Amino acid sequence: MTRKIEDILDNCLERIFKSESIEDCLKTYPKQAPELEPLLKTSLVFMQRSSTIRPDPRFKARFHSQLQAMLYAKQEKAEKRAKIPIWHRKWALAMTAILGFLLIGVGTVAASAYALPDESLYPVKLAGEQVRMTLAFSDIDKAKLHIQFAEHRLGEMVEMARQGKSDEIFVLTEQIANHLDKVYVMEETAVVRGKGPQTLPAPALAPSSEAGAYSKGRDAEELEAVLGQSRAKSLEALRNALDKAPEELKPVLQQAIENMEEDYGRAIFIIESGSSQ
Amino acid sequence: MVAFALTINFSPLLSFSYIIDISLMSIERDVVSRAIKGDGEAFAQLYEEHFDRIYRYVYLKVGNQAEAEDLTQEVFVKALEAIGSYKWRDLPFASWLFRIAHNQVVDYFRKQGKVEKVALEDDITLVSGSNPALMAERELEIEEVINSVKKLSPAQRDVISLRFGAGLSVAEVAKVLEKSMGTVKALQYNGVAALKKMLLADK
Repeated sequence: MTRKIEDILDNCLERIFKSESIEDCLKTYPKQAPELEPLLKTSLVFMQRSSTIRPDPRFKARFHSQLQAMLYAKQEKAEKRAKIPIWHRKWALAMTAILGFLLIGVGTVAASAYALPDESLYPVKLAGEQVRMTLAFSDIDKAKLHIQFAEHRLGEMVEMARQGKSDEIFVLTEQIANHLDKVYVMEETAVVRGKGPQTLPAPALAPSSEAGAYSKGRDAEELEAVLGQSRAKSLEALRNALDKAPEELKPVLQQAIENMEEDYGRAIFIIESGSSQ
Repeated sequence: MVAFALTINFSPLLSFSYIIDISLMSIERDVVSRAIKGDGEAFAQLYEEHFDRIYRYVYLKVGNQAEAEDLTQEVFVKALEAIGSYKWRDLPFASWLFRIAHNQVVDYFRKQGKVEKVALEDDITLVSGSNPALMAERELEIEEVINSVKKLSPAQRDVISLRFGAGLSVAEVAKVLEKSMGTVKALQYNGVAALKKMLLADK
């Protein structure tokens, strides 16, 4: 089988690189010799001339020093790293992973702060509220949080009204009622447990048999004040929303306002009457 | 006669740069292994061994001293950063290093938005020495080499620069360029045939 000229050229070049002469190689390929000889000479001329291309010695020396500095820095870093025990490094790695995870988690919760009921991050927002509720130190703190969350739902309701979404308004009204119911339950519990400043026994005549049995304390007063402010703020916001709402949404909003007046009123009344007797 | 003279001229160069010797390979393998483990002295040894060849390859590709210096520096900085992850079984060390150089050159042309074309400097100051006549002659020769190589296709230029400028084997060139050995041999043949017309025209 005839060898291709590309292979023959390469074979000759390899032999010449190993100190054979051009003549020796041409003797091996007499048929291809006329074509091969100028190609081999060309290759050697090119190699000879390009071998004179050399970096400027000053540049080479300068870069060599820079590289030494880089090598030294790299070695120093490696030595410092080697001094840290493996368990330490693993621990640091684990902490970094946890921190990263937390940051992602915190980022998601932060991003969910303005989520609306029809958005994907809304469950994260509610879960975040649940966590805050769990972490609240006292029942009074929990009661205040319920008021705050009722206001959040109201803000969402106003936005839903602006977007013309009546179903969400209905659901949010229920949730607000739920939060406000829990306000006076928390206040009652606090008083019964004696955590509130007033722990006197209660008479039987009260809207709530337990809450009504206690005299007014500082926490109850504060809660009453917070509720009063929240009611004024919430009802004003809802009335504004009602003014701007499209006609078909007005009955739903009107109903929401009435329900809210009733819910706030009941909560304030129970706290007020319960602690004043 | 010409052939004899050429053989005599090249024998020292060939004995140092082109003879593949098993014991040398095992020595290099040992040096590379130490460099992978962070031995600075071993890396400096590899630098000394490959620096001129990398520079020559880059210079043949870009045809400009300042650019060739910058790119050669970048090649070794990148190699220093990446040597820890180098594995023998994937690529011989020289092919790995020249692949970094090749990628740097490709990036250089891409960033410059240039078509790969060798830009010859007006004033070449590549050769240093005490004999001004010899220096001038050598500079002329280099100019001729650069002028001839820039007339090759980019693929031929890659193969010729790596094979005859950097002294890599066909197998190593194939690994650097991720081409088959058959393709590299064909490009070598066509490249040399094209150079013949330019370099031997006046002989």
